[in-house]
Amino acid sequence: MTATVTPPRYVGKRMLRVEDPSFLRGQAQFVDDVDLPGLLHAAFLRSPFAHARIRSIDAGRAREARGVHAVLTGADVGDAGMLVTTIATRPDEVETGVRRLLPTDKARHVGDPVAVVVARSRYLAEDACDLIEVDWEPLPAVVDAEEALAEDAPVIHEELGGNRFAHIEFERGDVEGLFDSAAHLFAKRFHFGRTFAAPLETRGVVGQYEQGPGELIVWTSTQFPHLVRTSLAPLLELPENRVRVIAPAVGGGFGLKVQIFVEEVLIPLLALRLGRPVKWIEDRREALVASGHAKELICDLEAAVGDDGRFLAFRGRYVGDAGAYQAHPWTGLIDPLCAASFLPGQYGIEAVRYEADVAITNKCPSTAYRGVGWTPGQAAREAMIDDIARALGRDPLELRIQNTISEEPGESLTGCRYDGGSYVRAQEKAAEMLDYARLRERQRRLRDEGRYLGIGFSPFVEQGGWAAAVARANGFPGYAYMDSVNVTVEPDASVTVTSGFHSHGQGHHTALAQVVADRLGVPFDAVRIVQGDTAGTAYSTGTYGSRTAVVAGGALVHATGDIRDKLLRIAAHTLEANPDDLELADGRISVRGDPTHSLSIAEVVATAYSGAGRPTDIEVSLTSTRSYDPPETYSNACIAAVVEVDVETGAVEIERMVVVEDCGTILNPMIVDGQIAGALAQGVGAALYEALPYDEEGQPLAPTLREFTYPSTLDVPPLDIAHIETPSPVTANGAKGMGEGGTIGAPAACVNAVADALSPFGVSVDFTPLRPAAILSLLREARERSRA
Amino acid sequence: MKPAPFHHVEVATVEEALGQLREHGAHARVLAGGQSLVPLMNLRSVRPRVLVDINPISELERIDADGSLELGAMVRQAAALRSAEVRSLAPLLADVLRQVGYPATRARGTIGGSVAHADPVAELPAALVALESEIAVQGSHGERLVPAESFFQARFETAAGDDELVTRIRVPRLPRRCGWGFAEIAPRGHDFAIAGAACLLEIDSDRVCRSARIALLGVAERPVRAADAEASLQGRGLDGAALSEAARHAAGDLEPPSDVHASGRYRREVAEALVRRALAEAARRGGGGS
Amino acid sequence: MSAREPIGREPEEVLVRLTVNGEERRGIAEPRLLLSDFLRQELRLTGVQVGCEQGVCGACTVLLDGEPIRSCLMFAVQARGAELETVEGLAGEDGALDPLQRSFQEHHGLQCGFCTPGFLLTARALLEETPDPSREQIAESLAGNVCRCTGYVGILDAVASAAAALHDEGGSQGGT
Repeated sequence: MTATVTPPRYVGKRMLRVEDPSFLRGQAQFVDDVDLPGLLHAAFLRSPFAHARIRSIDAGRAREARGVHAVLTGADVGDAGMLVTTIATRPDEVETGVRRLLPTDKARHVGDPVAVVVARSRYLAEDACDLIEVDWEPLPAVVDAEEALAEDAPVIHEELGGNRFAHIEFERGDVEGLFDSAAHLFAKRFHFGRTFAAPLETRGVVGQYEQGPGELIVWTSTQFPHLVRTSLAPLLELPENRVRVIAPAVGGGFGLKVQIFVEEVLIPLLALRLGRPVKWIEDRREALVASGHAKELICDLEAAVGDDGRFLAFRGRYVGDAGAYQAHPWTGLIDPLCAASFLPGQYGIEAVRYEADVAITNKCPSTAYRGVGWTPGQAAREAMIDDIARALGRDPLELRIQNTISEEPGESLTGCRYDGGSYVRAQEKAAEMLDYARLRERQRRLRDEGRYLGIGFSPFVEQGGWAAAVARANGFPGYAYMDSVNVTVEPDASVTVTSGFHSHGQGHHTALAQVVADRLGVPFDAVRIVQGDTAGTAYSTGTYGSRTAVVAGGALVHATGDIRDKLLRIAAHTLEANPDDLELADGRISVRGDPTHSLSIAEVVATAYSGAGRPTDIEVSLTSTRSYDPPETYSNACIAAVVEVDVETGAVEIERMVVVEDCGTILNPMIVDGQIAGALAQGVGAALYEALPYDEEGQPLAPTLREFTYPSTLDVPPLDIAHIETPSPVTANGAKGMGEGGTIGAPAACVNAVADALSPFGVSVDFTPLRPAAILSLLREARERSRA
Repeated sequence: MKPAPFHHVEVATVEEALGQLREHGAHARVLAGGQSLVPLMNLRSVRPRVLVDINPISELERIDADGSLELGAMVRQAAALRSAEVRSLAPLLADVLRQVGYPATRARGTIGGSVAHADPVAELPAALVALESEIAVQGSHGERLVPAESFFQARFETAAGDDELVTRIRVPRLPRRCGWGFAEIAPRGHDFAIAGAACLLEIDSDRVCRSARIALLGVAERPVRAADAEASLQGRGLDGAALSEAARHAAGDLEPPSDVHASGRYRREVAEALVRRALAEAARRGGGGS
Repeated sequence: MSAREPIGREPEEVLVRLTVNGEERRGIAEPRLLLSDFLRQELRLTGVQVGCEQGVCGACTVLLDGEPIRSCLMFAVQARGAELETVEGLAGEDGALDPLQRSFQEHHGLQCGFCTPGFLLTARALLEETPDPSREQIAESLAGNVCRCTGYVGILDAVASAAAALHDEGGSQGGT
């Protein structure tokens, strides 16, 4: 059935967020706000050693301590709820990671939980943790990914026989031939530093088992409540329909909360065993040493370049540092494999080869964080391209544009099917916004005054709408994804949408309502989005990977389509017209060309529920549950940074950043710009401020926020954002997904700007973060090189 | 991350506080603004049995400006920052306080607490050293005045004993023609510094340096004066060369510690630049420099 | 090990009476109970968020006698007799958002909303003391509050715009 499409009334508009007032009033309910009769509180005893055998644990005094209800160690939990993690589609290339909820043999990183205390209050639980005596036998620790892969490295998981969790190779085109014959060869080794999503709300879990109905309720600060349910049910040996997962307001996730944590299994297990509700709220020290770090990646890149500056072939070897355990379900491949899959980026090379390795080390497990391995991969590739430009005496932007792919849909050499965009125009637009030629002029003038300005570009293609197709393109298993929404028109013509997507800042309650209101011709505030509770919401794998605008948006297109069809048929019956002759606009269904012959949506809905003239030959329930598993889609963007480096102190000041973003159809420009600004600040943080170093014994050197330094209001740059809108030809609503771009692109822009600023000193940048002390070391080393 | 249990004892007078400290010795800690102590207690890396809460001692909240500037130990950093007396008598202190934490930590954090905590990367102790302040310490045998430079002894260690209380900070009046400067580098925003320099220059009418005081923070286990650098400026015109030479002197002998934010080597390098910048600012303010 | 020895008799719990958002409130606290936990658990003012318990992130900021403070760095017993304001006290009695809250909505100054109460209260204190702040003053005052979502753009815009609006309002009121 074809109904006339009317111009959108809400999609594309800057609608203020309907979710805001509850946060602004302090009324939103986060996990820690959950209070239940008889609630007990858990605290973990965590390993002070990076690698140590547990000879014995004496919890006797702790069990006797005031207010304590239970103390569990590895011996008490055994194999219950054990997490088994692998990539099923790659049995020959990827090992299987096994993690007990509490280890029985040894601790594998500082912060590894070895016992849990449940007490009347968190204070008392921590008191009892102090009373647990562990007889430790410290073992040699491995803190460097490449050293971990060496033959003689201490083995962290004995059953694997070594510390290599995965090794994947890929090659396409005549790599060797092109490298043999190219006019220029370049190599770049880049170490992207360990960072951390660090949502302001730490992790938290509350478990409660209700005997009567036989239902386990788990409140957890997660991005994917349904997948938590699907994972927990078998681990706790419960049927899935007796597990209900509630993700209430979630105080930021950024990928960290799109995995299953041992604590997330253990707390419900305790609730089941004790018959009392149990709460655990992660504290900041736990968050910094034991939740999930990210993006530490060693990238060894090589480029074969023609004498005209054309990029012919890229080779890359990526060694990821997974830490002590595999993030469930992603594994430590989430960084190296995503980086490798995007080695070609937006460049039209002829051959590519990559290797991706995952090393196990005695550090905090590494997991997904907004932009995952695309971020370090982008930083490494773009830093290499700036090196190439300098070596060839070419302008870095012009060299990039020369090598940029066509803006038409096409396939990358690693097999990503780009759906077209503004790859060249985004770069040109960024240059225009910077007033590039004059900026270069200013840079020269300032250099004469001993001031060092630098300009860095970072254009990229960004996957959006992570689901089966994009997962496959990134080398992950993706037979099929189940992401659905339910749309129901209530008797008063208000509309309820349920979904297992989960907003933790993205504004779903607003953006998705815009889509539905337009599709059904109802007022925006007639639509309500319900999510965050597996009871009564349609199944979805959650919100991550820049997917909700695409995947939920697409599912909504289909579900609202069903309902439109029904409304039109019912109206056609009443109006005695052919459904094909009807149009739905401004809240009314009317005969095309004859507006006098029309019904309001409310009248049609009333007819469907209880009206006299309801047709008898069609199914009239005004509800539809539809899923959507989109094809691959890719946004593109160009980020540019202008920085000034103080060569005496090493301080980097970002004068300005510019973002040109093309994410296809924009649902709500205010939310899109908010996502860009927020992601960008995270990228700036990774590039310039945040570090999670370890000493040689594997002690974390940034266990509090005094050492792990988020960017503050004083550290984020003035920002100009421009949009190019190239709707996706393949997704249901033209949206491409864009939540991660700033985090993917900003570090490369910052790295290149700093390198550009320091180019008079012969400095090349090959790591993050670029903190003041690191900048001065670069300058010192360059001075020493030039002396030698 | 919750503090271990303790007994909370509020005291209304210095004498009461001293009585508690005598009774509990090393098991007691003094609670002033709590902005340094409570984070450590929350981490359980400090676990006093008795917390002697001196917040009710109102006599320690006074700011007196009778010739020299006298700050009671319980003067909140925010109050000192707002104080006209501090601005006019010790403008360096006002400048430095702006770099100390944030509105919400300054509202509780006290001058005395910052002094007693003796964090080598804190700004306030270095400023007090540059200002040649004296720290009044009271014990059972009465009050003694300790020059700031000898008060700060090592990281988190001061000349005050377990049974003594920091009660006042005395900042002497500045010389008549005097400029001040402060420069620091921090990992971000207004965090604790990596390194910094606080300088005072007394300048003749003919723009010659009569005396110089330079104190550095973040480059040793305590704030340190740069005596050679100070001597090198005495009697000299404050041109760029003189300032650079002094800065080199100031940084030359340092052997700063390394930590997660920066290596010792970096701190030495950056100290030179920071001293030069702080001196240049001081020279400009004092009317003696370019 | 001496550090972990018990401290002898158990510390006594104390009755804490104070004024929060203009209302007399009371609760029981052992001496070590952080003010943040007291407000959240005893008084159920769960708009007070806890982000680090080190005084760094600013999520737990409340106003104490009009000044912003970290409630995670004060013990509840220290707040006896104090006058506190939390985010729950910002909206008008009719439930309407105050101009600062509205401005946060209008300028997309929040995403996940976890840091928002701390920012609102810090900004409120700023605007009380400095009704017409520069962009730099706003950034300075808010530098002790962490937001991981917005990149601060919307927050700085929101405070600047609220300041301007309050200023205009104040001006017109002054004229009548």
